[in-house]
Amino acid sequence: MENSVNHLTMLASAIAGRDLQVSDSGGDTPPWCDGNKIYINKDQSSQIQLQQLCVQSALIASGGLDPEILRRLARRQKQAQRYLCLEGWRALSLVSDLLPPIMQSLLSQMPTNLTDSAEQSLAMALAKNEVQPTPALFGEMQTKKLLAATKQAGGATSKGQHIPRSQQQKPLEELSDDANEDEEDKEDFSTSPVGGGGGLGKQLQKLFQRVRKLKGGDSPGADTATHWSRSGSRSTVRAVSSTASTESVDDVFTSTSGLLYPEWNYHSKRYRRDWCTVIEVKPPTETQANVEWLTGHGLRKPLSQLGLELDRFRRQSQGDDIDIDAAIESQIELMAGSHPDTRYYIESQRHRRDLSVLILLDISGSVSQQSQTGVSVHEQQRAMAAELCTVLYEIGDRVSLYGFHSQGRSTVNLVPVKRFDENLDGTVMNRLHSLIPGAYSRLGAAIRHGSHVITEQGGTARRLLVVLSDGLAYDHGYEPAYGAADARKALSEARQDGVGCLCLSLGANTDTEVLRRVFGSAAFATIPKPEQVGRMIGPLFRSALKAAEVQRRVA
Amino acid sequence: MNTMATNPPSTDHKEPYYVSVADEEEIFRAAFNQGLTILLKGPTGCGKTRFVEAMAHRLGRPLITVSCHDDLTTADLVGRYLLVNGETKWVDGPLTKAVREGAICYLDEVVEARKDTTVVLHPLADYRRQLPIERLGITLDAAPGFGLVVSYNPGYQSVLKDLKDSTRQRMVAIEFDFPTAELEEKIVIEETGLDSANAAKLIKLAQAIRRVESGGLREVASTRVLIAAGRLIVEGMSPLTAARAAIAGPLSDDVQVTNGLKKLIEVYLGNEEK
Repeated sequence: MENSVNHLTMLASAIAGRDLQVSDSGGDTPPWCDGNKIYINKDQSSQIQLQQLCVQSALIASGGLDPEILRRLARRQKQAQRYLCLEGWRALSLVSDLLPPIMQSLLSQMPTNLTDSAEQSLAMALAKNEVQPTPALFGEMQTKKLLAATKQAGGATSKGQHIPRSQQQKPLEELSDDANEDEEDKEDFSTSPVGGGGGLGKQLQKLFQRVRKLKGGDSPGADTATHWSRSGSRSTVRAVSSTASTESVDDVFTSTSGLLYPEWNYHSKRYRRDWCTVIEVKPPTETQANVEWLTGHGLRKPLSQLGLELDRFRRQSQGDDIDIDAAIESQIELMAGSHPDTRYYIESQRHRRDLSVLILLDISGSVSQQSQTGVSVHEQQRAMAAELCTVLYEIGDRVSLYGFHSQGRSTVNLVPVKRFDENLDGTVMNRLHSLIPGAYSRLGAAIRHGSHVITEQGGTARRLLVVLSDGLAYDHGYEPAYGAADARKALSEARQDGVGCLCLSLGANTDTEVLRRVFGSAAFATIPKPEQVGRMIGPLFRSALKAAEVQRRVA
Repeated sequence: MNTMATNPPSTDHKEPYYVSVADEEEIFRAAFNQGLTILLKGPTGCGKTRFVEAMAHRLGRPLITVSCHDDLTTADLVGRYLLVNGETKWVDGPLTKAVREGAICYLDEVVEARKDTTVVLHPLADYRRQLPIERLGITLDAAPGFGLVVSYNPGYQSVLKDLKDSTRQRMVAIEFDFPTAELEEKIVIEETGLDSANAAKLIKLAQAIRRVESGGLREVASTRVLIAAGRLIVEGMSPLTAARAAIAGPLSDDVQVTNGLKKLIEVYLGNEEK
């Protein structure tokens, strides 16, 4: 019964109607739920576990764990338990059609006088009426933990206030039993039943809102005001401006002469000629530590299949099927007395892709922030870049990888981690892992340079530019609207040159709307979890390549 | 031709079993009577093809089905010259045949077809109801009773493929979803001859799977897989084994997801009190 609770995740999601996690509550703790994760007793028999799980999932499905209600139950453990009983039965009755047969015995004990809504359950629980005892399977109401968790998930406090949004799946270690010690809980008073969502609470929240501080492990430059986002900061901390320099980045790289690129001026709707200086800087190779070589090969299958697609070629001199139209034409020619074309077969070929890929990796300061999973966006993007690079290299495509960030228009740094002609070896991985995110991202110039490099050095007919970025284009004199317009322009220029563009945003929670503005009509995808890449990468690559091909044909 | 399966006028056949879920039958009849093209949208295995078969039967029209694939050319649909005894002879394609005979032409998974192929449908799909045949130099007017029905599953190809707007706007859309639990139970029983207790359990399982959000499932358990599971049970397999083979296996290759599904199946189909 070691990992048995994990298998129950799907059952829980099915009953609750949304994604949930299941975990062991540990020891004798009765089952409870924090809104995203259900804790059940691993030591109990599987039957009990199932029943506990069903009750908790039902509570989520019924909306019985609504923060509004919970707040009124905070610090009233007795009433909360009465509420749990009333609401639990109501929730079970709501989803009774969905419940597995194992719940029959419990359902048969269901009282007849059910409440109609969570509010009514609450009212009854707060009243002094006699309520029947709560079945042990219902577990316990952990109002405090629940509220803390909901607040983290952005549910409780997000209304009308600019509170950084983070998605569910917060690491739950932060919600340990002694939650009062926890940094997250220090401002809980502002959501306490007294302060609530009222004016005072909001004021207090405003006063005590956390500001960013440079954590020990964070790279310098990560706490500069790096971007503007409608989603707020991606971590639970908020970005404020600071004057921390990005020297560390500059120290590492030594400048060489640069290339000039134009930039699209969104305001005057014309290009600024020779506006940006792109400098290819020497990649750092600091990390000598044993860099973890690629582990998972989840991308290999979809990417290699790309090359293995059967293409049917008509009018071939040999093949496995007759091209009827060509055959008939040649017969007619023959009868008419002229020389027939004998190429009347259809050949199915596994078309060699003849593909070169250039990966642009965003290493601006904004990606060094932690995402909800506790891994920084940079680390996720870096892993993705490594995997893409390795898999494409192994398949036999020409691939190169560049990191990019900028510090004003005169210093757009591109770091060639792997050039087209270099072998993929430990040096490349070392370079990749030595990249330290910092400074800003002048996305347009980076894309133009990438497109230039791949056109010059790619050497194949089909070219693909993969941009791994959080989609926040921001630099000196490169405000979001301007930057988005320029990036969009750069992408469409690349497509016109027959370079397919694919933009991936990994782990960042930038608004889709923002991404759409930046990436325009290029194929782009937001991938919340790295595991999901495998399923999406094939179609994305294909559509990006297709778009480029159409453009080239038109041009 | 490898792309088509033609049913002869099927008046003497048994009517295909189909139960209306909502107002799809009325819409179909109205659109058909008005000569409008019909677009069927819905997840795989929810009964789109069966619906067309049943409607063709009820309306007393022959049905010509073309399963579209990405190598389907205009000639495959319209027709081409073949050589017969040293002479060229025109042979109608399925679409031309339907236009001449006044049959219902059903293009299954129409997004799979190449975009330039679907354009041939345009003059047929709007008020003109004509099929120009370039190679013959003629334009056919659709015979009374001709109907064009296309289907597609908006889910899984959406990133890649989509219908052109100009094609879409020539059509009347009917959206399909899985039937309600009671209806679906009835359908499964009717299709498989399964006893109602087992059918009810299968349906409950399907309802649960359909509520699982994301979780790595591309498509949920369709009525079709339920029927497959039902058939296995009727053959004498235990519900657990049947569901694992017909539901868990086909839905996912991901080990973790499959394990989750198996657990679900065990919980819903396993013996009541272990």
